[in-house]
Amino acid sequence: MTFLSVVQEHFWGFLRATGMTLQLTSVSLVLAVVIGLVFAFMKLSDNRLANLIANAYIGLTRGLPLIVQLMFLYFGISSIVVLSSFWAGTLALALHAGGYVAEIIRGAIQNIDRGQTEAARSIGMSRSKTMRLIILPQAFRRAIPSLGNQFIIGLKDSSLVAYLGVPELYSNAMTAAAANYKPLETYLVAGSYYLVLVVAFTFLVNKLEVKLSPHRQEASR
Amino acid sequence: MSVIDIKGRHKSFGDLHVLKGIDLTVETGEVVVIIGPSGSGKSTLLRCLNFLEYPDSGDIRVNGALIDPKKTDLDKVRQHMGMVFQHFHLFPHRNVLHNITIGPINVKGLSPKKANSIARDLLDKVGLPDREKAWPSQLSGGQKQRVAIARALAMDPDIVLFDEVTSALDPELVSEVLQVIQDLAAQGMTMVMVTHEMGFAREVADRVIMMDDGGIIEQGTPEQVLDNPSEERTQAFLSQVL
Repeated sequence: MTFLSVVQEHFWGFLRATGMTLQLTSVSLVLAVVIGLVFAFMKLSDNRLANLIANAYIGLTRGLPLIVQLMFLYFGISSIVVLSSFWAGTLALALHAGGYVAEIIRGAIQNIDRGQTEAARSIGMSRSKTMRLIILPQAFRRAIPSLGNQFIIGLKDSSLVAYLGVPELYSNAMTAAAANYKPLETYLVAGSYYLVLVVAFTFLVNKLEVKLSPHRQEASR
Repeated sequence: MSVIDIKGRHKSFGDLHVLKGIDLTVETGEVVVIIGPSGSGKSTLLRCLNFLEYPDSGDIRVNGALIDPKKTDLDKVRQHMGMVFQHFHLFPHRNVLHNITIGPINVKGLSPKKANSIARDLLDKVGLPDREKAWPSQLSGGQKQRVAIARALAMDPDIVLFDEVTSALDPELVSEVLQVIQDLAAQGMTMVMVTHEMGFAREVADRVIMMDDGGIIEQGTPEQVLDNPSEERTQAFLSQVL
């Protein structure tokens, strides 16, 4: 019953913290998609320098533990410009996920049949129009399951930002557990909040995938 | 006037010399059929005509204008050259109508209304007036290929290139596609086709070109090339496919 009493006692606190977690996650993931697109195109380009930069970026963001990147960014950047812990955390999460998103998008673009490009070019479409109208829409649809997966990881990764002092879910749990001497119950509550978020998000991703793929849906009918 | 005029065209992929100096002129309204064994360079020649492959050397004139692949706006050139592929390559994320209008709207800048009316006329022409809302995945191979032909025609091209367009079809679906092409020929469309349908070549071709080993080894009317080939390699090839 202590679980319920913890839920009761900290309900609003956790709800506010959940709002912060959602902000961190959504802002960082939108940025991650932008970053991912840029580096995916750099990796696909014929320019050697662009390839090199993209490979270095992806190598670093995937090669270093997130907590190390968080600390680098927080202490590194805040020695130059004053950055709130929220933005330091969001940027670090975005840069980290951006490396993975870049690889997901690059893979999805490369997996579109060459014939699609040839057909588009054969009716006189430019390279950029072919990418925008023909390749990217198909690549994004195919990338949705992997992107959704990456977003779930991002949601859970946002808990590490607690160590920068951002009052999100995990940080809230740490504070509450220290105050109420019921760490097990408190972290159980925090865990349930994450689980609910992930389940809801998975549901949304599945809906989106179906909605964006009318051609596949109707074909299987 | 000639729509396409190429001289001394060469193309290699690495060490593989695929086209060894091709000369070819296609006149307005002419139907040219290219035959030959696989690996002879037929498809490569076709793909060099609209620069899906960049030729290594040789001159090409389109409607009299010399094309320099580095300087000429190739997108403009391709607008006037339709191409139909063996594996259709319809855009799976767009329905049939959008597959046909996407070029006219986004390349030529036509209004959606105008583009739709062109597309519907073409769907009528290829015998699919009631499928404009269908997705490509819902169509049979023959239907897909007819939509692909309509997509190429929607750009109002000066010439259409057909690259083995019936080779991926079930046998019973071949005739519906050939019928569409035959109608086009009857309307005076300039066409270059690579095909293995010898009977069809005999019916529609003004000129048959036999290719082997990266070169044109014989050409002439269907009667000359298909019935009385003078080259041994043509005779050998024909005896295998007929």
